[in-house]
Amino acid sequence: MLILRYSARELLRHPIRSGLAILGVAVACAMLLDMLMLGGGLNSSFESLLTTAGYELRVAPAGTLPFDTGATISGLQDVRDGMQSLEEIDGVAPVLGANLLLEAAGSPRVFVLGVDPADQGIYRLELGGEPGSAAPGETGIVIDRELAGLGLAIGDTMTLRAPGSFADARSRSGRFMVVGVADFLYSSVGERSAAVSIGTLAAITGQADQASLMMVRLTRGANQEYVVGRLRTDFPGLEIASVGQLVERAAQRLSYFRQLAVILGTVSLIVTTLLIGTIMAISINDRYGTIAALRAIGISRRSLVAAFALESLLLSLAAAAIGLALGLLVAGRLESILSDFPGLPAAIRFFVLEPTRVALAATGVITAGVLAALVPATRAMNAPIATTLHREEP
Amino acid sequence: MTGTARREDALVEAREVTREYRLKGDLIQAVRGISLEIQAGDFLAIVGPSGSGKSTLLHLLGAVDTPTDGTIYLDGTDVTSMSDPQRARFRLEHVGLVFQRFHLLPMLTATENVELPMAEAGVSRRDRRNRAVELLERVGLANRMRHRPGEISGGQRQRVAVARALANRPSLLLADEPTGELDQATSGEMLELFQSLNEDGTSIAVATHDLTLAAGARKRLTLVDGRIRE
Repeated sequence: MLILRYSARELLRHPIRSGLAILGVAVACAMLLDMLMLGGGLNSSFESLLTTAGYELRVAPAGTLPFDTGATISGLQDVRDGMQSLEEIDGVAPVLGANLLLEAAGSPRVFVLGVDPADQGIYRLELGGEPGSAAPGETGIVIDRELAGLGLAIGDTMTLRAPGSFADARSRSGRFMVVGVADFLYSSVGERSAAVSIGTLAAITGQADQASLMMVRLTRGANQEYVVGRLRTDFPGLEIASVGQLVERAAQRLSYFRQLAVILGTVSLIVTTLLIGTIMAISINDRYGTIAALRAIGISRRSLVAAFALESLLLSLAAAAIGLALGLLVAGRLESILSDFPGLPAAIRFFVLEPTRVALAATGVITAGVLAALVPATRAMNAPIATTLHREEP
Repeated sequence: MTGTARREDALVEAREVTREYRLKGDLIQAVRGISLEIQAGDFLAIVGPSGSGKSTLLHLLGAVDTPTDGTIYLDGTDVTSMSDPQRARFRLEHVGLVFQRFHLLPMLTATENVELPMAEAGVSRRDRRNRAVELLERVGLANRMRHRPGEISGGQRQRVAVARALANRPSLLLADEPTGELDQATSGEMLELFQSLNEDGTSIAVATHDLTLAAGARKRLTLVDGRIRE
């Protein structure tokens, strides 16, 4: 419609004003998107990390979840057998963790995980085979890319020893042959990780029949709540939690991130509303006389309000397009800074790109922008035509 | 359209029309009990000193404003009893308005400006384009159709405004100080245009200070202090 064409062209009449408004709203939109991504990103990323290996429950010594290598579950075999006797449980993967020292220049620390190679959810092999695939007479070890970066390759041998903190294992060490290179799902950035069979690690650390953590996989269709309840009854000394419960706990701990995101996201929407409202108020105020003339010649209020809403919509759309791109750029930069946060698994993402969040940010900005135009537009529509006709225009 | 049909012969019939408003607490009587008739085919000039109520009366006659008291029939319809949206639609279809400051849309071409009221009235794109071209040719702007208001002279802008006012074939063309922003020569051309349109059957009422323009009208009505001076 012609009146809509007019409003679209009106934006081009003041390119600097329109451009600055678009940039201002784009920054607010970028901030809104980043806050939406941050608000839900940690949770969804954490949940994804926990479910990626396919184990629905985690079992640990009481009070140590999500993971603490200091305390262990004793009587591992009995516990494992007891759990596996439940028909709802498909598999139990024990994990023993220990920090060992690599016998090499500088004695770099290596976080070694003892696993059951046949049933583990700690790493994903990228090259080679499992720890049990070493040549006869050799003890196999799977290493991560960080260790591979030290020059270790499949077929190489390496020696790991327990540090002095293991009082009863001070002299214990092991010689291993690298049999595989893997992606360790829960390693933090820069951490060197390796995996051996749980018995081998237990022999070095003197923690026979112990585990730091057990990951439980349920049979298809099993009632998770029932199994958690049953295990809590059968093993009262252990902490048993489903992935959902762990995510909930993490969400509680990270609630300040969400609060921050909500506050800053709300501020972004307010800034958007004020910016577009101000620009539209100035723009409409400049045209009071012309608006009165258009009303005088019979252009309906509805057409005029639609024209102003379109102006605002076009401003918001342009700002949203730039803002979303800017938001993704900033999120990428912030992610690279925050991913170095010590102790957090490298796979954790602070900013998770989800289409719904992008759509929400765009919709928020566009809606706020269009609504912001309605106040000055309505004011102009209610101004008396006869007296407004003579108003000076710049 | 709502309203009660009154007189078939008068295009406009105003009865005891009064328009009062408050300005900073003072009651201003811009128009005081005016009664008048405009017949189809008239070319009426409303003259009078500043503040005499010329523009106010013109706005009342064109259903742009509503009287505090009295009744106005336009095309046989009581426009004083209409709602705002009804009056807007009525103006769109029955009244052509020309303003002192043109009030053209600067980002639209001359043709698009003329098309605007027709687009609002729901005329098809092709018909309104043909009509706009015809009107711009009629007001002598055949070579300025694709120009924007900022690219043409004041006189040409006012011609575009006249063409826009005629777009929906109104019963009455109202012009409020149409030569107020024009030089003497251009004002003379505007008078010739109005006379030519009137000769073609367009009914015109002009509120003006311009004595030449007033002298060129077929009828004159002088206002002083909101009243008609005989």
